Amino acid sequence: MSGNAVALTIVIVMFVAVTLVGFAAARWRQAEDRLHLNEWGLGGRGFGIFITWFLLGGDIYTAYTFIAVPALVYGVGALGFFAVPYTIIVFPIVFVFAPRLWSVSRVHGYVTPADFVRGRYGSHGLALAVAVTGILATMPYIALQLVGIQAVLTVLGVHGDWPLIIAFVVLAGYTWVSGLRAPALIAFIKDTLIYLMIIVAILYIPARLGGWSHIFSTAGTHLAQINPKTGKPFGSLTVGPTAVWAYSSLALGSALALFMYPHAVTGVLASRRRYAIRFNTAILPAYTLMLGFVALLGYMALAAPGVPQAVKAHGANAQLAVPFLFQKMFPPWFAGVAYSAIIIGALVPAAIMSIAAANLFTRNIYKEYFNPDATPAQQTRVAQTVSLIVKLGALIFVLALSKTFSINLQLLGGIWILQTFPAIVIGLYTRWFHHWALLAGWAVAMAYGTIVAYSTPAPGVPGSHFGASTATVPVFNHTVYIALTALVINLVVAAVLTGVFRLAKLPAGVDETLPGHYHADPPGLRRPRVPITRLTVSSPDPGGQPPVRHGP
Amino acid sequence: MAQHRAPSKHVGTWIVITVLLAAALIGTLWVPFYNHLTPALGGFPFFYWYQLLWVPIVAILAAAAYLLSRLAQRGNAASAQSQEYDRREAG
Repeated sequence: MSGNAVALTIVIVMFVAVTLVGFAAARWRQAEDRLHLNEWGLGGRGFGIFITWFLLGGDIYTAYTFIAVPALVYGVGALGFFAVPYTIIVFPIVFVFAPRLWSVSRVHGYVTPADFVRGRYGSHGLALAVAVTGILATMPYIALQLVGIQAVLTVLGVHGDWPLIIAFVVLAGYTWVSGLRAPALIAFIKDTLIYLMIIVAILYIPARLGGWSHIFSTAGTHLAQINPKTGKPFGSLTVGPTAVWAYSSLALGSALALFMYPHAVTGVLASRRRYAIRFNTAILPAYTLMLGFVALLGYMALAAPGVPQAVKAHGANAQLAVPFLFQKMFPPWFAGVAYSAIIIGALVPAAIMSIAAANLFTRNIYKEYFNPDATPAQQTRVAQTVSLIVKLGALIFVLALSKTFSINLQLLGGIWILQTFPAIVIGLYTRWFHHWALLAGWAVAMAYGTIVAYSTPAPGVPGSHFGASTATVPVFNHTVYIALTALVINLVVAAVLTGVFRLAKLPAGVDETLPGHYHADPPGLRRPRVPITRLTVSSPDPGGQPPVRHGP
Repeated sequence: MAQHRAPSKHVGTWIVITVLLAAALIGTLWVPFYNHLTPALGGFPFFYWYQLLWVPIVAILAAAAYLLSRLAQRGNAASAQSQEYDRREAG
């Protein structure tokens, strides 16, 4: 067998194994009321510290991260490393606000961030804005998971659309059956493989390439070459003087935005106890360390003989840098393990994202506007259907439209989702802002962000669109992440209009939350812990009833 | 942060937590601190090992903040909040 055939065989075997686990997950930690959206959409809100760690890690470190971050480092050098400070500071930020969101959501049974906004401000409009923004920002994110899979398949020499279609049909199948339990359980496999891949990569590849100093100096030489398009070097090993603000604003803006994404909120709300979230901010940085080394794979790819040439031969698509690095450096069987890690790393977040988007649609659009009396069972059925539609949409997106379109939309998605920050996070602390002012701030910032992103050309390609996620801010005269500039505009508009609306004595809406709800720490909803060994039980539950559980 | 519910004896704890967490933001977001290649460590230019070093540091800071927050909450264990929640559940 050729090297690629060995790798492909391993990828297929792993995929089948993950599929079995995905379907078996339906029986994991199952509750009596399995048709409630809490069950399908939040895994019964019963995940402890350990599973929350895997779920959040599996959720926010996506396949696109594994492909795009090293691709950026490969292409421009140090600037791409902003992913590290980004995923460092996200944890102090989460430490501060996430427990409040968890508590108020547990007290009131909120499933989505838009549920909270609706309850806090008594505003349908603002809740709808938050829900729609969440769905819009999530869809291209799901599509990009497919782009990550495609990068691996391209290097494996697999062509055509059918592998992607098979992967998504199977994913849709076990998400339908198992809900959030499927990705939570598969996250164990995903993360084990990812950690294995990166530990082997940082020990083995530098040894083969002549050590870290050699990798950095070779990468530095490559980056110092002049880009014919711009007439400037491709990049450098440190951040250029004009990009310092871009670097820190990308880190800060992305960190503030990350837990506005519905799938990240889903991971938080699925936690069983309040303290599990704060505890996790101390152990989740393990993933950041892994991400830091994944980013450095970009430099290894620059330094590995044959990899830059192979990337150039495939249309200079930097996303292929890491898959080619594995192909050239690892023995075929381990390349197969590493590719499986990336592919499974795409399936887990794609499943959680589609569930989160489905929760948003069901709770904040379907129940709100179409069927206010929907029973929990009906809600679950609608959420299952929507998660299917969302995944199908992402698939069509990637197959029918250009890949660049998905990437541009994801860039926009990051800008958009941050604009829900004032309504959600500031709303956790104060009701000072008027809900119409927040809505106006959101609308202005969405428009501003979209227009600026559209009109930013790629370096050296005048007249092109969506060329970068940073743009020069007038007056301030520095290059800043567009999302962060938009957030500042958002806050200013919201603050000024709040003043105006208060003077005009416009009704402020009804707040159904009380101060104590933000600190409440009710114990887990029900049910003793089910040992994980239950997973291996394959006999069907008699009459759909969970078996009686005995103590240890 | 949650100061407004904290009785005065916990204000100090929450200030410490704030300082711990803010340190991570300042240490990693202020690029001039680390935007140079030397001194290198184990072949890693300063820019890279400095930022990677912040990963275990933030984990330790978050762990310390977690323990402090638990300590502050234990003081409030039988506080009005949980009673209020129980009332709400009963009603």
